[in-house]
Amino acid sequence: MSTSTFPVSPTTGEPISTMARRSRLGLWFFIVADVAGTIALVISYTYLWSLNVNGGWAPPGATLTASQTNTALPSTPPKATFAAEWPFWAIFLVVVIATALMWFGYRSARSGNHAGLMVGAGLSFLVTVAALVFQWIQISTFPFDAGDGGYASAVLLLCASNIFHLLLLLFLGMGIFMRARKGLIDKTNWYQAQLTSYYMTWVCVAFILGAILTTFLVVSPNTDPAIFGTFKQQ
Amino acid sequence: MSVDAAVETKTVFGSEVPQPPQHGAAGGVMRRLNFGTGLVCGIGLATIAGWVTAIITPSSASSDTFAPMEPTYVYLAVLLGWFIGFMLGMGAFVGPLRWVVGRDITHSDAEYMAGKDLGRKRYWKYTTDHKVVGIQYLIVAMLVLGFAGLLAMLIRTELGMTWTSLFTPSFYNSMIGTHGIAMIIGMIVIISGPLGNFIVPMMIGARDMAFPRLNALSLWLFVSAVPMLVSSMFMGGIQDGWSVYYPLSAQAPPGMLGYQLTIIVFAISTAVASVNLMTTILTMRAKGMTWSRTPIFVYGIFAASVMGLYAFPFFQYAQILGLSDRVFNTSFFDPLNGGSVWLYENLFWLLGHPEVYVILIPSMAVALELMPVFLRKPLFSFNFAVAGIVGVVALSGLVWAHHMYMTGWAPAANYPFMLSTELISIPVGFLVLVAIGTFWRGTAWTRLPLMAVYAVVFNKMIGGVTGVYLSDVPADQYFHGSMFVVAHFHYMLMGAGLFGAMAGIAFFFPKMTGRFLDERVGSIGLWTAFIGFQITFMSMFVAGLQGQPRRVLDFDDQFNLSNWISTIGAYVIGIGMLIFLSAIITSWRSGVLASSNPWGSKSLEWQTATPVPLENFPVLPVVTERPYDYGVPDPYEAELDSTDQDLTEKAGTK
Repeated sequence: MSTSTFPVSPTTGEPISTMARRSRLGLWFFIVADVAGTIALVISYTYLWSLNVNGGWAPPGATLTASQTNTALPSTPPKATFAAEWPFWAIFLVVVIATALMWFGYRSARSGNHAGLMVGAGLSFLVTVAALVFQWIQISTFPFDAGDGGYASAVLLLCASNIFHLLLLLFLGMGIFMRARKGLIDKTNWYQAQLTSYYMTWVCVAFILGAILTTFLVVSPNTDPAIFGTFKQQ
Repeated sequence: MSVDAAVETKTVFGSEVPQPPQHGAAGGVMRRLNFGTGLVCGIGLATIAGWVTAIITPSSASSDTFAPMEPTYVYLAVLLGWFIGFMLGMGAFVGPLRWVVGRDITHSDAEYMAGKDLGRKRYWKYTTDHKVVGIQYLIVAMLVLGFAGLLAMLIRTELGMTWTSLFTPSFYNSMIGTHGIAMIIGMIVIISGPLGNFIVPMMIGARDMAFPRLNALSLWLFVSAVPMLVSSMFMGGIQDGWSVYYPLSAQAPPGMLGYQLTIIVFAISTAVASVNLMTTILTMRAKGMTWSRTPIFVYGIFAASVMGLYAFPFFQYAQILGLSDRVFNTSFFDPLNGGSVWLYENLFWLLGHPEVYVILIPSMAVALELMPVFLRKPLFSFNFAVAGIVGVVALSGLVWAHHMYMTGWAPAANYPFMLSTELISIPVGFLVLVAIGTFWRGTAWTRLPLMAVYAVVFNKMIGGVTGVYLSDVPADQYFHGSMFVVAHFHYMLMGAGLFGAMAGIAFFFPKMTGRFLDERVGSIGLWTAFIGFQITFMSMFVAGLQGQPRRVLDFDDQFNLSNWISTIGAYVIGIGMLIFLSAIITSWRSGVLASSNPWGSKSLEWQTATPVPLENFPVLPVVTERPYDYGVPDPYEAELDSTDQDLTEKAGTK
């Protein structure tokens, strides 16, 4: 019977490096599932944007050029416009900062700098909270409602997806900070901070995808959309 | 025992392993949580959430598009309350919370959570041992399939009684939709759940799954989704088929929420299970288990996990968008406000077709796994079988729109999708050819599992050939939406899928329970169901060729005869399945005791003791040969023999 001289899992006795390798692969697979879900949202956005069914892509009152206006647009007075683009980029930037801080924390843990880990993980958590607040403010100040057409629907769901991701980051960030505080993440056992950094990097990609869509694919290119009836209950 | 005064250690597989502080008795709060507390918390929170929502929602609330919203909001609150409460009461949040606060579990905690010394109680808890999870999956999947089968009997009764109507059209529609989705869910789980969890880790020589707590999570997420699906029948039901196309789905009663939340939760469960299985297979195979020595069943489960992982999120998001339309008044699928029903159809079928292979591939893989054992010869071209599985996975995401030929979506895309669909029949055909090649000149030891394989191969060939007609655009113009389609996919999903599951259960039953599945009763059940199956669905092919539309309650008299025959066949299937079920129950309780390797199999899961110890293998095995080298001389022995012969020859010369 031997006594382990290297970091091992308390439950299985396996080396931490084995656990890390396994968990890293598991995380990549989770990211694949998350990517597929994000692609579903991107498809939804671009599909509705390209079709502009019933001329219903743009929110009522959105600024359109004369050639983009058509008779199918509701004749109600203008009440809303497209969302401003800069908040999407601003929130993305905040998430990038949070991610960079987590990476700093993780790299600090690897090099044995415990204070750096604490600072990185703690600040990353706080910046994520700020991102969540900004995201909430953005949603609550959109110049349209959920029912104002395809654009409004797609943008709101992108933001809802962002909130879901931010809540996950909050959970992970808090976990890394608390565990670092208890000395459970250190020079010999840093893989959980590494995995969190990886996941946050993917979340940045998801955010930038949303920002690109809402910046560059705003006004539908389809100026002669198909006109359909209604499926309202009669 | 301890090495250091401050740090406790524990002996884990022969090594002294430092332990985190133990808080209270092993297992902590998990000692108090079980299925009962899950039910109490789930029902309690559902009641409170529904009651509060009913109070705060004005009864006049309505949306532009849908019927009065109060029942929708209340039902949604009840479902969410149930889900959160049940998972809370089961203990699903304990692990994540302990992780966040840095209170890691000890080896003793882990052993408790794996069900050590808990006896039968472990089947009612959030147990992490893969063998317990496998048994739990088996029971829940059989319950779901039983429920869906009961609905099938009611549907066939209605269609067989051509002179009267038993049910209202809306209830009939609701039965059709619920039967469809319950069968799909049950069939996705029936092999990958029980056998993927119980058998695969042992088959690859591992002690457990890569992430034991995620294993329990996937199971209990699945369990939590079942009442949501059943409850939808009491809220107006799922009246638009299992695919719930828009705009019908948007006009459906609140029961649609049950469908949507079921799929959302089930997709999470599937993703978690897929990640776990894939990671386990990739990182925990025994030393020496190269890819050419990895059993074909492991490939099948891996392939199903890959397809589930990439495809399910599309289905899940389709339901999230639909739920958002219904509850938050967005307009993803509302053409009046810029939405598109084709968007739904695309997202839906991006899962909908890979899902067929998520069911089929494990079924074919389990058939190929047990054939060499009962034919005592190697699998005919192992590489060909692997190529077939890889080919199916590669093409599975490129065929979805063959379900949409007649919807008017992108007619120009019909022909590329026709081509890709016909192409996928090639790798699927590989698997059938490998099965036939393995039968060829084999010495069949015809026991119950092999009998089920005969049924699988027969049904798979009929399902496959009729599928080629449906992949063809001109032919599909006639067959689309007819009973021909219904017969075809039942041949694939039930004929190949469910009979494959029966083969797998019969084969692995001795390892899972320590007893043989009753051969006599089981065989009677199997063949009764098989005969009933042919009667039901051959007749349904005829009805489809005559032009009977699917999902229609009242039809022309010319279809009466084929419907009477189908209904009689369905009852025969029902009787067969009940007989098979009775074989499972009686054998489990008092069947003939089996040794640890009753079939004389060469794969690893049979080399350990029965009942399987908690850690599966006292010492991790090392693999030195392929899993199906039956009847092939051992290369090492052959080498020794030839050396002996050489020496003899040399001696003779001298």
